[in-house]
Amino acid sequence: MSSTTTAQEWLERLRHLPLEQPLRLMNVCGGHERSITQAGIRSLLPDMVELIPGPGCPVCVCPEEAIYAAIQYALHHPVTLVAFGDMLRVPVNVPKGEVRSLEEAKAQGGDVRPIASPTEAVAIAAAQPERRVVFLAAGFETTTAPIAAMLAQGAPENLLVLSAARLTWPAVAMLLQSDTPGFEALIAPGHVATVMGPEEWSFVVERHGLAAAIAGFSPESLLAATWSVVRQSVEQRPFLDNCYGELVRPGGNRRGKALLDEVFEVVDAPWRGIGIIPASGYALRGDYRRHDVLNQLPDYAAEQRRRAGEMPPGCDCAKVVLGKIYPIACRLYGEACTPRTPVGPCMVSDEGACRIWWSAGHRQHST
Amino acid sequence: MCLGIPMQVVAIDQYVARCAAKGVERDVSLFMLMNDEVKVGDFVMVHVGYAIQIMTEADARSTWELLDQVLAAEPLPNA
Ligand code: SF4
Repeated sequence: MSSTTTAQEWLERLRHLPLEQPLRLMNVCGGHERSITQAGIRSLLPDMVELIPGPGCPVCVCPEEAIYAAIQYALHHPVTLVAFGDMLRVPVNVPKGEVRSLEEAKAQGGDVRPIASPTEAVAIAAAQPERRVVFLAAGFETTTAPIAAMLAQGAPENLLVLSAARLTWPAVAMLLQSDTPGFEALIAPGHVATVMGPEEWSFVVERHGLAAAIAGFSPESLLAATWSVVRQSVEQRPFLDNCYGELVRPGGNRRGKALLDEVFEVVDAPWRGIGIIPASGYALRGDYRRHDVLNQLPDYAAEQRRRAGEMPPGCDCAKVVLGKIYPIACRLYGEACTPRTPVGPCMVSDEGACRIWWSAGHRQHST
Repeated sequence: MCLGIPMQVVAIDQYVARCAAKGVERDVSLFMLMNDEVKVGDFVMVHVGYAIQIMTEADARSTWELLDQVLAAEPLPNA
């Protein structure tokens, strides 16, 4: 389809597709969810088409243990702790009165600094070669490839990495292998596919027979992808469509992928509140392990604690992340939990579905 | 942190490009694009300070418009 088709025209085309059964689409990208929610796309879709936000927020699934460890480094060791800004307010589960976020650790005198790019971590480490800099590295492939680039290019030896980096597709694979995936078609993430290539998502079609389309971030691209998967489903001819050809090219960003392979290996990894997902985490490989924080500092993540690894009490983020419930179905949404007083990571992060829904004006808890 | 921003390359010094978007200039790493030839004047999609792909000017401009709408709609409380 031509890229000049307007959102209105896509909606018109969607309404003309003879869909006979309800169809649930899952998107797995905070950027997608933001565009969908802000443009009010859900309310414009045909009744039978449901669009569910799924695992699209790396901050939300960053292991609680990793954040806990980062807090301990900031509090008890002479280090500078750097993390993407979103991570600073994510709470961990500790007894009342103890430091429960990196922001609180900073208020207690910890040297905690928000960064917007791995290049800032390098600059901070280079400026103080005698002091260790610990980088709490959470993110999906689009963030992890730049981190790989940072290390491959040659980072200062005093820059240590606490990797909480994750792959996107294994969470979708896990859902599809479960008894209740909760969706029948996939809107695949545009920038992940830009880096990793569209091919990673073909398992959705080939192994599970579901419709799939990669989308960009404009309402037009998201609606083009929506139309594509609905049509694929109606015609029962699933294939992996690419509705973000502007950036997504066969094979992806080959250099970015090569850097990822050089610096990281893929390992089984925990997702907060969800558990271990096979082959879903990035751990430093080979010689790059000299940048592993555990080489030089204690393994606080392994400490036995109550509720380690879990979401905060009462917080339904894990269900939100897996697309089992909409944000507003959480009992705390808009009551105890708002962006000003976030209870869980989904309300802290810009990519979290709770935060995105709140920002778009959903103010009421509703089941 | 997952927001991708298109920028135009103004100058290149090895792996670092001075890039501009809507009047703001920043250093962007080209390390992930080394094999592709990025030239001054090109548009790139930037993610956490790294160019992840080259794009056309038309696509860059439409993404800027989109970002304007997104940012106008949402004042970030803790930004
Ligand atoms: S509304 Fe708050 S408590 Fe509920 S799931 Fe979202 S982040 Fe967690």
